[in-house]
Amino acid sequence: MSKQEMRRRLAALGFSDKVKLLEKLRDRSLALAASGLRRRPVKEPQIQTESKAAKD
Amino acid sequence: MKVTLEAINRMQADGVIGKYAIGGAVGATLYLEPAATLDIDIFVVLPVVPGSSLLTLAPLYDYLKGRGWKVRDEHVVIDDWPVQFLPPSDDLEEEAIAAAVETTVQGVPTWIMSAEHLVAIALRTGRSKDHIRILQFIEQAAVDRRKLDDVLVRNGLVAKWKQFEHKYLEGTRE
Repeated sequence: MSKQEMRRRLAALGFSDKVKLLEKLRDRSLALAASGLRRRPVKEPQIQTESKAAKD
Repeated sequence: MKVTLEAINRMQADGVIGKYAIGGAVGATLYLEPAATLDIDIFVVLPVVPGSSLLTLAPLYDYLKGRGWKVRDEHVVIDDWPVQFLPPSDDLEEEAIAAAVETTVQGVPTWIMSAEHLVAIALRTGRSKDHIRILQFIEQAAVDRRKLDDVLVRNGLVAKWKQFEHKYLEGTRE
């Protein structure tokens, strides 16, 4: 089944069924967020270090 | 979501809020395939307090807190769903509430914004995810273009729509 066909089928579901899927998607997002798999990028403190070095 | 909507309907029956309409990603789900979202946006008409011209969400929060639901930042968490209550900020949102479509979720009646109002609000909001959602409505033929045109004209969004068309839809029409 093509992606477009899958989307069409999902869109054609009844609202109650779609809400069940929404809840599954939400729970999955929350589980991923809680697992620590999604980490915020750590900013390198280069600029600060350089400016500090320049002062020194 | 059944419990969430029952709580909101009870709040409406008790006169804490007036008419309401679900917007945002949950509202769009009535017309499109489900997309991940963490909260429910509910646009609500607040009753006017006699002797005051200010509209406040405080009675709504107090009502829900009194029933054991927790407030978290700008949301009230009702049965696992963080709900954001948004009084209409302009004519478009007022119109969207008035024109909301009645539907049911697991036997509970509720009101969802029309596809055309969801598109118009997404256009006005204008973030990348809003543009993606508009394109989904167009691709899936989930929006009535004549009704959408009427909403856009009434709410001064024609120029913005033309920009959107130019950027995303030019060359896609037959």
